[in-house]
Amino acid sequence: MATISFRHASVAVAVDSRPEPKTLLADVTLELTEQRIGVIGANGSGKSTLLRLVNGLVQPTSGTVTVDGADTVRAVRAVRRQVGFVFTDPLSQLVMPTGREDVELSLRRSVRNGTERRRLAEAALDRFGLLGLADQSIYELSGGERQLMALAAVLAVDPSVLVLDEPSTLLDLRNRELLRRTLSGLGQQIIMSTHDLDLALEMDRVLVVEGGRVVFDGGPAAAVETYRALCAAGLAAP
Amino acid sequence: MRGHGFLLANYVPGNSVIHRAPLALKFLLVVGCGLASFLVVDWLVSAAVLAVMSGLFLLTGAGPRRLLAAVRPLLAVLLVIGLFQWWQLGGPTAARIVLNILVCVVAASLLTATTPMQRLLDGVVSLATPFRRFGADPERFALTIGVMLRSIPYIAGAFADVRDSARARGLERNPRALVLPVFITTVAYARQTGEALAARGLGEAED
Repeated sequence: MATISFRHASVAVAVDSRPEPKTLLADVTLELTEQRIGVIGANGSGKSTLLRLVNGLVQPTSGTVTVDGADTVRAVRAVRRQVGFVFTDPLSQLVMPTGREDVELSLRRSVRNGTERRRLAEAALDRFGLLGLADQSIYELSGGERQLMALAAVLAVDPSVLVLDEPSTLLDLRNRELLRRTLSGLGQQIIMSTHDLDLALEMDRVLVVEGGRVVFDGGPAAAVETYRALCAAGLAAP
Repeated sequence: MRGHGFLLANYVPGNSVIHRAPLALKFLLVVGCGLASFLVVDWLVSAAVLAVMSGLFLLTGAGPRRLLAAVRPLLAVLLVIGLFQWWQLGGPTAARIVLNILVCVVAASLLTATTPMQRLLDGVVSLATPFRRFGADPERFALTIGVMLRSIPYIAGAFADVRDSARARGLERNPRALVLPVFITTVAYARQTGEALAARGLGEAED
């Protein structure tokens, strides 16, 4: 597994209406080496920011984030070759009109030969049982099929780390289950934010993020309990 | 989101003679039709060329519905152009201009309906390769075209959604209620697409 290191990583953004920058994530120091890492927390707590740091989509305003020693700012291309990213809404992620074209797009940089690219794309789609849907418009696919298509496009280039930002939020129960089974069969190191606490309980390690800070880091059962307690305290507050 | 079911330039699998024709020949046909639209001065010739191009299209097996789908989004614009030209320059000129535009659209559809997107992008990369010496990145050319083909139906769908929302609130006659949300949705979509491409390491300068 890759070693993902956060060293005092903070992210702050300027907000027009405020004199001081708004802190999205504050002073995170972590070393992630487990295969399945969950990130849970309320909306706006900083989960997405934490995940985006791993792929270099967000750069730390202070501190560093590295993936196997590669800095996500200075060596962002190397990091992105190693770290695949799956967004919540697959329609934001699938940039080509059909699944086949999108998977082939992923492969364009690494595979110059068109025939070989087609073969690899078909293999990637077949792996998820999507070959029959390869030439359909992405708008004609169900939410689950789209999410699997987005996953296939990311995995086609065989990243060693897969970051997923709430991949099941827009899915119904059946598609959520389909995604869960698919993810459990992957060999990649997975870092995933989720509101699905059952899914979080299947992780090896879970981080609880609250107000831009990692307030708990440990086993899934204790993490879920902590998160529930935080939510209950939030509801109880006036 | 509604209105996204159609795809601009979607490929129709097949094994017709046009499917098997070299990509360069199909590119030349499109360019030739574009140039001819400036040179042809008789609307009857334009009509004959349109008939030939439509015949070629139907020869691909893509079917008249696909042909109609390519032309339908333009009909309102063509009507406005045709009426304006009729008023300004007379019937034959108006007919020639409208028919020449249709010839170009059918020729472009012939290319896209018979060529898989990736082969089309490979062709664009080959065409753009000579410009590499001037600092151009051919892969970015191809990516830009691919993203454009995906984005136009998205924006059309966003407009349909916004129009429905405005209608539900009784604001269908308010231009602000129509234009502003489409604009915001389009900007958000552009940001998301940029982010999705960046996350996959696409669109960056070549190593």
